Amino acid sequence: MTRYYSETEVVTLIDELTPGRLQAYLGAHIVEPVPSEQGPRYREADLARLQLVCHLSECYQLPEDSLNMVMSLIDQLNTARGDMRALIQAVAAEPDEVRVRIHHSLRQIRR
Amino acid sequence: MADDPYAALGLTKSASDAEIKKAYRKIAKTDHPDLNPDPVAVERFRAAAAAYDLLKDPEQRRRFDAGEIDAQGQERPQQRTYREHAEAAGSPYARSYGFDGDPDLSDVFSDLFGHRRTGFSQGGFERRGFQQGGARDGDLRGQDYRFSLQVDFMTAARGGKTRISLPEGGDLEVAIPKGVRDGQTIRLKGKGGPGMGRGGPGDAYLEISVAPHPEFRREGDDIHLTLPITIDEAVLGAKVAAPTIEGAVNLTIPKGASSGQRLRLRGRGINGGDQQVELKIVMPQRIDDELATFMESWRKKNGYDPRSKMKMGG
Repeated sequence: MTRYYSETEVVTLIDELTPGRLQAYLGAHIVEPVPSEQGPRYREADLARLQLVCHLSECYQLPEDSLNMVMSLIDQLNTARGDMRALIQAVAAEPDEVRVRIHHSLRQIRR
Repeated sequence: MADDPYAALGLTKSASDAEIKKAYRKIAKTDHPDLNPDPVAVERFRAAAAAYDLLKDPEQRRRFDAGEIDAQGQERPQQRTYREHAEAAGSPYARSYGFDGDPDLSDVFSDLFGHRRTGFSQGGFERRGFQQGGARDGDLRGQDYRFSLQVDFMTAARGGKTRISLPEGGDLEVAIPKGVRDGQTIRLKGKGGPGMGRGGPGDAYLEISVAPHPEFRREGDDIHLTLPITIDEAVLGAKVAAPTIEGAVNLTIPKGASSGQRLRLRGRGINGGDQQVELKIVMPQRIDDELATFMESWRKKNGYDPRSKMKMGG
């Protein structure tokens, strides 16, 4: 079951996060929690994202627009990695002849 | 965590608070699991993070140094990595990474993975396109076909039509675009295998190889041709017919032309390129007495040395 966190909980759970910082990230659309009548609800994915955003902002002193750009690149990479993982799993489940054909095709295209 | 949190940060007990922070930052910058998937880096980061958690608080550090507490039990309560969430199916932050606009691959891609939103998130809380719009189960785009097709030089240069036979029987007329290059791939949208369910047909891809021509050679959009001329045409100059890909054109040979001299027929190449004509003087099949006698007397008065500037051997 998906667990949701309130804004107060999120700020408590993530050491480096302050309410001011959270508002700045929301304003820059760096994090997009689920809106509800009781205010935004944060998923585990939002928490993990905020933790990484805080890390990047602390370590590299990144302003919001750069953070947004870096997170967009990280999202692209992670989405591609997830797709690639799924594709590899699908290929791995195919019979030998199919995998051999795919192997040859890839060698040709990426030689 | 390692028994010695100072070692995990590459420091000794004498390190200052500032040095501890700096050492942690340095490791965190390069080894954060969301930025560096190398397992060695991940381990290094976890050890450094746990060490930093213990040592960043001066009171806690004092108690550790005094032996009142040990390094155990100081693991971070929960180190979340973003990556596992972001990679997971249905991630709210899934983002298109470049295939949506690809003219050749976007259909295949969306069949497999659906559509994601693109670019930066600046549109508020919109949820447009998350995982939706992809194929339903049972809908699958048809297979792409790949063919190799050899076309002759002139068809490639001028464009034309040819027929290919399809794997499921029948054949297909293919328009070869003017100026197609050796190795180029032509895409025939929708000419691949039939789709399943609501899926559209696949595409056919033709990899073109261009057969060489006995006279013409292609370099970029220019056509190269070696044109044989007679000795008298070379000496006296002449107007001769020179073949081009669009038929013969008149070419003026200047008086005193040499072998190897290049003339340009502007715009007679492919798609606005030129035709480069290299002259080659060809002797008559038989050197008759008249020519030989004339040459002997000519040489006495007009001898010249075209090799005077050439270094001779050694």
